[in-house]
Amino acid sequence: MNLKATRLIGAATTASMLVAGYVYYQANPPAPTDPVAGQRGGQVVGSTRSEIRSYNRLVARDQNTEVVSQLTQGRLLRINRATFEIEPWLAERWESSADGRTHTMHLRQGVFWSDGVAFSADDVLFSLRAVYDPKSESAWRSTMTVGGQPIRATAPDARTVVLTYPGPSGPGLRLLDNLTILPKHKLEAALNAGTFRNAWDSAAPPTDIVGTGPFVVKEYQPGQRIVFDRNPRYWRKAPNGDALPYLDRLVLEIVPDQNAELLRLQSGGIDLTQSELRPDDYVAARRAEADGKLTVLELGVGTDADAFWFCLKPEAKRNDPRFAFVRRPEFRQALSHAVDRERFAEEVFLSAAVPIWGPVTPGNRPWFWADVPRYAFNEQRAKEILKGIGLEDRNGNGVVEDAKGTEARFTIVTQRGIGWYERGTAFLRESAAKVGIAFEVAPVENGALIERLLSCNYDAMYFRPLATDLDPAGNLDMWLSSGSGHFWDLNARAPSTDWERRVDTLMLEQAATTDPDRRRSLFNDIQRNFAENLPVLYFAAPRMYYAHTTRVLGITPSVLRPPALWNADMISVTPP
Amino acid sequence: MIRFLLTRLLFALFLVVAVSSASLLLTRLAPGDVSTQLGPFAAAADVARERARFDLDRSIPAQWAIWAGRALRFDFGQSYLYNRPVGGLIAQAAANTALLAVVALTLATLAGIPLGIFTGSRRGGLLTGIVRGGSLVCLSLPPLLTSLLLVFVAARTGWLPAGGMTSVGSVDMSWGAWAADVAWHLPLPALALALPIAASFERLQAQAMAETIQEPFVLSAIARGVPPNAIIVGHAWRASLRSICAVYGLAIGALLSGSFVVEYIAAWPGLGRLMYEALRARDIYLVAGCAAMGGVFLAFGSLAADLLLVAADPRVREGQLQ
Repeated sequence: MNLKATRLIGAATTASMLVAGYVYYQANPPAPTDPVAGQRGGQVVGSTRSEIRSYNRLVARDQNTEVVSQLTQGRLLRINRATFEIEPWLAERWESSADGRTHTMHLRQGVFWSDGVAFSADDVLFSLRAVYDPKSESAWRSTMTVGGQPIRATAPDARTVVLTYPGPSGPGLRLLDNLTILPKHKLEAALNAGTFRNAWDSAAPPTDIVGTGPFVVKEYQPGQRIVFDRNPRYWRKAPNGDALPYLDRLVLEIVPDQNAELLRLQSGGIDLTQSELRPDDYVAARRAEADGKLTVLELGVGTDADAFWFCLKPEAKRNDPRFAFVRRPEFRQALSHAVDRERFAEEVFLSAAVPIWGPVTPGNRPWFWADVPRYAFNEQRAKEILKGIGLEDRNGNGVVEDAKGTEARFTIVTQRGIGWYERGTAFLRESAAKVGIAFEVAPVENGALIERLLSCNYDAMYFRPLATDLDPAGNLDMWLSSGSGHFWDLNARAPSTDWERRVDTLMLEQAATTDPDRRRSLFNDIQRNFAENLPVLYFAAPRMYYAHTTRVLGITPSVLRPPALWNADMISVTPP
Repeated sequence: MIRFLLTRLLFALFLVVAVSSASLLLTRLAPGDVSTQLGPFAAAADVARERARFDLDRSIPAQWAIWAGRALRFDFGQSYLYNRPVGGLIAQAAANTALLAVVALTLATLAGIPLGIFTGSRRGGLLTGIVRGGSLVCLSLPPLLTSLLLVFVAARTGWLPAGGMTSVGSVDMSWGAWAADVAWHLPLPALALALPIAASFERLQAQAMAETIQEPFVLSAIARGVPPNAIIVGHAWRASLRSICAVYGLAIGALLSGSFVVEYIAAWPGLGRLMYEALRARDIYLVAGCAAMGGVFLAFGSLAADLLLVAADPRVREGQLQ
């Protein structure tokens, strides 16, 4: 037998053995290891899509800083991201006065900063001072005020803090979930020197970053990863008395591209991500789940939904002849009637969504109102409403116009590169065309979109504004006509319409009311006003799904961002 | 030769200033600025503070003058995205890109030129057809698709890391283990970069070789009875290098400037990815810094191409000396 034939036979034998091995492995996969909840040790590799900007949450209000803060720092109390209930944290208990304005917080015994210094009431006073000091330029200053005034704090002893609110506050103690407690012994000098803002920027040595959270920063490699090690001085214990956190190490790999992130998740290169699955990725994730690689969890309906609105700023649109009919609620009501929300949910979110009629989705369980006024899908009714306000297709070109010949023709600006925005605007264009309203779609970069939004340089916009808080009192920037988040008429000097004036009054009353039933009743009234006047149209709220590898245990994902690492101390991995 | 090098140095300086100034200007003129990173509903005071921090509250000439004045002292400003000085970020990213580029160029050269010699010196045959077909495929595939395909293969098979420059455990590695880990992460992005360049080298080399073997001096060597392999390697190849040298410099410049698509998909922390993220965030001084470094690399690539050409072709060398 010659050399060539020997090689061929050898190669064929090797290939057959490989194929046989693969077939055997597929037929007899190794038995899965029984998951052992709460096993100490191991590491989890997560991903994040952008760099960290600061370790100091009081000066930066972005998702990465929030994640880092949840991993490394503590609060007096926290809102459980799964139940939305308040939980004791660095304060183990508290008493509130009858008028709800004075809260005496009793701090937990035996809590130490990660560098070994004892945590005390001075740290709480310092953190509040840092929020309100103008030199710190804190991102949370306005959020942490009640009626525009700061919360006063005193410390009768090292374990007690008395907080006095300047007036009645609807959110009450929930405000304190925003207050990250920072170490006075590490940051007081910076605050006094006016360098607090940069004291813990991303270039700070990790050894300088101390906290009361479950992890400490081990290393940050820009463009690559941030590594957290277990904080051996973490105060919290598991229900069975085990020391927390379970993990020895948690790594966040920086993976800027979401497609690559999903591939790495499917291959086990990363265990979890900082975002929910996109509707387009759901099927691939389910396949990986069927292969035993991923666990896919349904979180429920999201708390934010895509919105569609016209710029309703009178100063900007006064000379636009279309504003004469765009400003009328009937015009927007007609458009709302023209959209089949069931089909919208199916086609835009690939069925992973529920129809909605207002900004508060069923995902926001405490504040969702099921009886909000609705506009059933009815094209005929839409045409009648348009005719009722003088809009008819007089020249037979398929687009309605007013008596002066001004056509209902608009451009929708949306963000480029987001699949469901593109599908949503296409669906809207098709639906509106059937009742005589013509839309063109202009996808633009995020920066350009924001610039247009701020200058009201657009006809209509399709975008997902994120609520800053589930509690409407924490979201005044959107509800009040003077708010920076009142996106259809930003930063108005005065309410443009009577209904907005009424909403302003109701919102301020709601934010200053402590009776929960009264607050709910007031907010339902606000939602009714909003739905009747439709400054913004909502069509569907996405159902949210979250995926992580099967080796990770103890994740309780939330519809709030970041979804997974809010309870990082309880996360563990199956033993190898 | 000194005059030639001095001219090239001046050209490089001009290129760097022009490219970085133009990128600063274009980023300033593009819709949106760095304050849009605060989100659409940021408070006006926060927006004003961020704009002032990056000199966006000044006129364009005033901002350029401030930036240029600082750059003369090697202070390239602060990055918004990273909240740290631009200079250090660029140095680190440029080093990562240079490593990737050198490996990709080596792979492309080692694969493309021999294959080009092979296909250019033969009239037909199955192997020639396969190589040509492979080159056409590699040239046709956009880098985005190649990168995603390679990441997909790596993720599905586990043969290579599916992205990144080092493993998660690199924090605790010794220097030697760290270097080995980087080497383990290099093939995927390097292949994504090298495949289209290797294909273009192959096509150019094949064409140049096919033309050169028709030259009288090659026919004369054949007539003298010189063995075919000796003719190809010893005579025709060197003479055919001129066209390769011309594009080699451009390839060096382009690779060193960073391929943002490959670096972005493969999560390689290089200059291309840094530039892309800076552009998206309108991180104006980071954009200008990346562009300046890209200009430096482009000038270096151009110089390298000229020197290669001088080395490869005596006619050019004589022309330069004259």
